[in-house]
Amino acid sequence: MAKKKKTSWIVWLRRLTQTGFFLLFCYLFLQTVYHPINKAGRGVTFFFNLDPLVALNCWLASHAFVGAMLLSLVTLAVTFICGRWFCGWVCPFGTLHNFFTSLRGGRAKQKIETGAYTQWQKAKYYLLVGFLVAALVGVNVVGWLDPFSFFFRSLTTSIYPAINKGLVALFTWIYNANPGVGPVRLTAVTEPIYGFLRKYFLTAEQPYYWGSMLVGVLFITAVVLNFFRARFWCRYVCPLGALLGVVGKNPLVRLKKNEEKCDSCRLCLVNCQGGATPENPLEWKPSECFYCWNCQSDCPAQAISFTCELRLEKKHDEPVVQVDR
Amino acid sequence: MNPLYKWIGDFVHPPKEARLDLGRRAVLAAGLAGVGAKLLFGIDPQASKRSFNPALIRPPGALPEEEFLARCIRCGECMKVCPTNAIHPASLEGGVEGIWTPILNMSVGYCDYECNLCSQVCPTHAIRQIDVPEKKKIKIGLAYIDKNRCLPWAYSKTCIVCEEHCPTPKKAIWFEEAEALNIQGEKLTIKQPRVDPDLCIGCGICETKCPVKGQAAVRVTSVGETRNPENQILLSPDSFAEG
Amino acid sequence: MRMGLLSLDSLSAAPTSALRVPSPQPPALSVAHYKSSPAEPDGIAEEARRLTRQAIDALGGMNRFVSKGNVVWVKPDIGWDRRPEQAATTNPDVVATIVEMCYQAGAKKVLVSDNPCNPARLSFPRSGIQQAAEKAGAEVIFLDERKFRKMSINGKVLKEWEVYQDTVEADRLINVPIVKNHNLCLATLGMKNLMGVIGGPRNRLHQDLGSTLVDLAAFLKPRLVVLDAVRVLTANGPVGGNLADVKRKDTIVAGVDQVAVDALGATLLGYKPESIGYIAQGNARGLGTIDFNSLSPKPIEV
Repeated sequence: MAKKKKTSWIVWLRRLTQTGFFLLFCYLFLQTVYHPINKAGRGVTFFFNLDPLVALNCWLASHAFVGAMLLSLVTLAVTFICGRWFCGWVCPFGTLHNFFTSLRGGRAKQKIETGAYTQWQKAKYYLLVGFLVAALVGVNVVGWLDPFSFFFRSLTTSIYPAINKGLVALFTWIYNANPGVGPVRLTAVTEPIYGFLRKYFLTAEQPYYWGSMLVGVLFITAVVLNFFRARFWCRYVCPLGALLGVVGKNPLVRLKKNEEKCDSCRLCLVNCQGGATPENPLEWKPSECFYCWNCQSDCPAQAISFTCELRLEKKHDEPVVQVDR
Repeated sequence: MNPLYKWIGDFVHPPKEARLDLGRRAVLAAGLAGVGAKLLFGIDPQASKRSFNPALIRPPGALPEEEFLARCIRCGECMKVCPTNAIHPASLEGGVEGIWTPILNMSVGYCDYECNLCSQVCPTHAIRQIDVPEKKKIKIGLAYIDKNRCLPWAYSKTCIVCEEHCPTPKKAIWFEEAEALNIQGEKLTIKQPRVDPDLCIGCGICETKCPVKGQAAVRVTSVGETRNPENQILLSPDSFAEG
Repeated sequence: MRMGLLSLDSLSAAPTSALRVPSPQPPALSVAHYKSSPAEPDGIAEEARRLTRQAIDALGGMNRFVSKGNVVWVKPDIGWDRRPEQAATTNPDVVATIVEMCYQAGAKKVLVSDNPCNPARLSFPRSGIQQAAEKAGAEVIFLDERKFRKMSINGKVLKEWEVYQDTVEADRLINVPIVKNHNLCLATLGMKNLMGVIGGPRNRLHQDLGSTLVDLAAFLKPRLVVLDAVRVLTANGPVGGNLADVKRKDTIVAGVDQVAVDALGATLLGYKPESIGYIAQGNARGLGTIDFNSLSPKPIEV
C-alpha cells in the first residue's frame, strides 16, 4: 500500500465547515431558552427552516407553508447542482455520525468492508416514500426520523438534561466535600467555573422529561451503529438524506478518475463516508456521495478529482464541456 | 442540444449510475405502508371525535388536533424553550400518531401566565404564533378539585395554596368558608377551594404547587380546551375576566 | 371591607406627648407619606425614592442598621412574573434606594434575591427589580440549589427547615415586602415575605401560617423592615394581575419591630391586625408589639 499523503486542503475546509455548522446548531440549541423579557432567542429554528423534508411534508399533509421554509429552496437548489453536499458539509447530525465513524478502529481492510456500499442503503428511500405518501393522505410523522427533529429532540429531552445533571452533581460534590489542603481549597477554582457554566451553559433548573429514557436509548443506538457501518444513519435511515439523494442524483459536480494514474490500491474506499463506490467512476453513486472529498485526498496517485461538468452523453467518458473545480 | 436541457432531461431518463434502482414492488409496499399508517391511526378512538384523552393537554395556541398532528414535526423546540418544564413529549396520549408531540404535564411544570415562548419557536406553526394577551384568553384545560385528597376537604386542614397561586386577574379558584369537625369533635371554619370553570384556563400552577404529593389534590384535564369545540362541558364556554 | 386611608392625626395624637421629654432612643417605626399622588408611571419612581429615603432617615439613617464592611442581604418580594404596576412585587425604586443607602453607609456587598413562586428568570426582570438593583450596584443573585441548608429553627411548629445559607451568613438582612391582600391569611406583609429565604416544601407552611411565620421571623430577625405601600394590592392577591385591584397608598413604612410594621401595614388594607393570625401570635409570643402606636411612629409628609 502506498504511504498516506498529506490531507487535501478541501478536506480541512470541509471539516471546518462541518464544525462551524455543528457549533451553530449547539449554539442555537442553547439559545432556545427564555431571554428577558419573554423572548425566545433569534433564529433558533434556522436548521428546520433549511430542511426541505419538513417543508415538503408540512405542505403535503396540511397544505400550509411557513415563510421561513423558503430557505429550504436554497438547500434544494444547491443539491441539484452539487449533490448531497448538505450531508457532507452542513448537517450537524451527519457531522456527529461522521465523528463517531472516524473513531472506528481497525485496519484499512476492515474499514473498507464496513464502508462499502450495500443494497440496504436503499432502505432510506423506501422510508422516504412511506413518509411522503403518508403525508399525502394527511399523516405527518416524518418528525420521528427527520435528522434535525431527532437530534434536537434527543438533546432536549435526554442528552442535555443528563449532561446538566452530571455537571451539577460534580460541582455539588466538590462544593460539599470541599477538598483541599489548609486554606487552599479546590472550590476556589471550581466555583468560578461553575458560576460561568451556570450563566452560559447549564439550565436554571434541572429539567425532567417523561419518556426521556426511550429517546436517549434511541439516540445512543443511532450513534453507536456507526461502529457497525460507517455513517449508519446517513446511509440507511435518514429520510432527508434520501430526499437530497433523489434531488441530487444527477449533479453537475461529478467524480472523475484518471484511469492511467490509478493502481487499484483501493485506498479511496477506506474513508468513503457515503458508500458511493468511488473507485470506479462508472459505478460512482452521486445520490450516495456526501462530497466529503476523502477519496480525492487519500488517493496517493492523485487519480481522483471532482469536476463540474454537464453530461451530454449517456456514456460518461466523453464529456464535451468540462470546467475544472 | 442545449446542455442545460439535456441535464434536466437526465432527471427524467437518468443514466445508469444516476438511477436509484429502487425495486418497484418495494416502493409500492412503502407507499401502501404510508396509506396503511393513515388507516391504522384513523381507527384510534382519539380520531373518533367522541373520546378525548384527559391527559392530552396541548400548549396554548396549538391548532385543532388533526391539523396539529399534520404540522408538528416532533422537533422538541417548544419543550426546550418552556421556562417551567411543562411541555413533554407525549407517549400514547395522542395515539401512536402523537408520539413525541408536545403535551403539558402539570405535575412537573405549569404554563406561565405571561409567557408565549412555545408559540414563538414552533418552526411549522403547529403552535400558532400568538401574543400574550391572546394567549391569556385560550383555555388549555380545566382544573378540578379532588375532594378526597384536598387538605381542607378531606382532612379539615388549612391550605388553599392553589388559590394563592392562581394567576387569572379574577382568580379562577375561590373558596367556601365551611364548617367542619376535626377529630376532637371541635367545630372549625375551613376555607375550602372551588374552581370556577368559566375563569379557569387550565394553566396548571395549582396542580404543580399543590402540597399533596403523589397525585395532586387539584388536577387539570384537557376538557374545556378552546381549540376543540367538542371537548367542552359548559353551556357557554366563552367567559373571561378582563385583565 | 374598609379601605380607609391611614389617619396620620391618630398617630401623633395617641400618646399625650406634648410636654414629655423626648426619648433619647431612636424611633422604632416611621411612616412616610407622599402628599400628592403622582401619575403612573414616571412620577412614582421619584416618589418611591424620596419616601424610602425619608422613612429610613427618620429612623436614624441607614448607618443605624448597616456598618462599614457589612454584607447586606436585601429581600424584596420578587415572587411573581408580574410588572411593577401590578403591585405583586416590590417597587423597584424602593429596592434601588435601599441598595444605594446601604452602599452609602459603607456596606461591602449588597445582595438582592428571592426564592420566587414563578421561575426566577421570569420574575426578576419582569418586576424591574433586577435591572434597578443592578443599576444601583447590587449583586442580584439567582439562588443556587446547593446552598439551601437544613437549619434548626426551634420554633413552636418549625423545628428544622431548609434556609438559604448565604442569607443567614450575611451580616444584615433587610426585609422589603409589598403590601398585598392574601385570601388565606388576609394580608401578606413582612413576615410572609420571609418565605422567600427558605426552600423545601414551603407549600406546607400554609397549614399553620400563624405559627410558622412567627417561627421564621424569630429565626431570621431582619435588622430593618421597609414596607412598600406606594402601590398596594387590595384583592386577588398575592398574585394579582388586574390593575383595578391596585390602589395607590403613596406610603412607605420602616421599622425594626416586625410585628408592629406588619400590624401597621394591615391597617393600610383595612384589616384589623388582631384578625391576622401571625400578627396576633407574634405579639403573644413576644416577637414584637401589635400596638404600633405605642412605638410612637414618626409620621413624615413628603
